[in-house]
Amino acid sequence: MSFEIAIQARDLTFAYPGGAPALSGVSFDVAAGESVGLVGPNGAGKTSLFLCLSGVLQARGGALSVGGLDPRDPSQRRHLPSQVGIVFQNSDDQLFNATVFDDVAFGPLNLELPPHEVRQRVDEALARVGLTGMEERVPFHLSGGEKRRVALAGVLAMRPSILLLDEPSMYLDPRGRRELIRLLHSLGGTRMIASHDLELILQTCQRVLLLDGGRSIADGPAQTVLADATLMEAHGLEVPYRLRGAAR
Amino acid sequence: MTLAFSLPPPTDSPLSRLDPRWKLAALSIAAAVTATLQTLSVAVAACAGALFLAVLARLPGRWFLQRLGAASLFVALFALPLPWMLLDDGMSWSLGCLRVSRHGVQVALLLAVKAIALLTMFLTLQATAPLETNLKAAHALRIPSLFVQLGLLSYRYIFVLADELRRLRIALRVRGYRRGMNRHNYRTAGHVAGTLLVRGYERAERVGQAMRCRGFNGQFRSLKKFSTRPVDVLVFVLVAASAAALLVWDRYLELTP
Ligand SMILES: Nc1ncnc2c1ncn2[C@@H]1O[C@H](COP(=O)(O)OP(=O)(O)OP(=O)(O)O)[C@@H](O)[C@H]1O
Ligand SMILES: [Mg+2]
Repeated sequence: MSFEIAIQARDLTFAYPGGAPALSGVSFDVAAGESVGLVGPNGAGKTSLFLCLSGVLQARGGALSVGGLDPRDPSQRRHLPSQVGIVFQNSDDQLFNATVFDDVAFGPLNLELPPHEVRQRVDEALARVGLTGMEERVPFHLSGGEKRRVALAGVLAMRPSILLLDEPSMYLDPRGRRELIRLLHSLGGTRMIASHDLELILQTCQRVLLLDGGRSIADGPAQTVLADATLMEAHGLEVPYRLRGAAR
Repeated sequence: MTLAFSLPPPTDSPLSRLDPRWKLAALSIAAAVTATLQTLSVAVAACAGALFLAVLARLPGRWFLQRLGAASLFVALFALPLPWMLLDDGMSWSLGCLRVSRHGVQVALLLAVKAIALLTMFLTLQATAPLETNLKAAHALRIPSLFVQLGLLSYRYIFVLADELRRLRIALRVRGYRRGMNRHNYRTAGHVAGTLLVRGYERAERVGQAMRCRGFNGQFRSLKKFSTRPVDVLVFVLVAASAAALLVWDRYLELTP
């Protein structure tokens, strides 16, 4: 293989039934192993883009390839879960089993892995998010931050080559957030992180994609895009604290 | 609100050590038989049997009585009017200006006793194994995975909906909403119910999407391994045989009045 492309999107368009377009003509490439931050104001289309990439929503127009698969093709979509892991913006949407262990094991079991491998992956994923010993807890009685970690563990246990994280630092306390950043650094693979936490984006992504009104506004190195005060203000964002000195 | 569905702290008991599959099968047979009983004396015997199982399961007394009490209120709603409603040519007593039929009293008692017996069996099942174990046992007994998942998801949604309701109530309260009996209150209650329904539906849709993103294709998979010992079979045979005996006794009493 030559220059490996993990995600390729050309002219993606999506509209919710009866609504204005949530995505219009979004194009970008993500190379394998790259870490891309997705920023933009509320309603910019970040979540919608992730849902299109993971095959939940059917984008129209252009070309789309995620991990070599087209999420819009039903026969290819079946293989997508082993390639792409998505952590939803709201953890309550993602947790539904009666114990933490079962929830994290859900994905590996669906991959039809042998039992000892499932257990090993669950243990490892829970250790990575710092939840070892919580296996028998009931997910819906956990705190927001703990739920978030269980959701992340459930995706990590599937060892996808591409990770889509929607607002991963929401509900995390400062220590949890620091640990998340460390965890993200320790993970290999391709990642896209949608967040309003621009400091987190700055610390975990080399590149940033700015969306607004469903359109791609800017795409470039995180240090440059996030430091552009005029651009940031025009799209409801602000320059992260640690870049403020640099801009002046 | 969710307290009613929360499980008791797990207690070790002769019943909780049984293979969940045999226990589920035995209790299902017992419950099915109990539901079809037609005579009061046999129903009382079934109820006694159920209470005996509850004792074997070491059900926490308070937990059990609280749930039984709540359910009794509900059953009373249906059972109490029966003595007055089911008037026939048979024996009856008059209480002041009201006539109470013997037949009605019998039907009401039968209903109440059967309800208590069934609830006791259900609570025994609930208290002796975590819900997911029972669901996995159901799956192992070849109950279609659709029903198993339905059970799992309904259980999960009770908490989600209760949580949504709690949030909505807080949202109302912080905006100065007071409970009362006027038009504004009824409209608000209507909106709350509607919002809850829509949110529940959307949440269900998103959970379904999240499940598919993790490779779910309608197949229920589990790591749980069950193993059968002689005592499991013995308990199953005892319960099933008692249920069969009650059924025969019931039919006999019914045919020879
Ligand atoms: N289920 C839906 N039905 C109809 N319209 C929707 C739905 N979900 C989102 N939208 C609309 O699509 C647009 C993009 O929403 P999206 O959730 O992708 O934004 P976002 O960038 O993730 O915002 P946030 O930062 O608030 O999470 C918004 O205008 C929103 O109102
Ligand atoms: Mg979003």
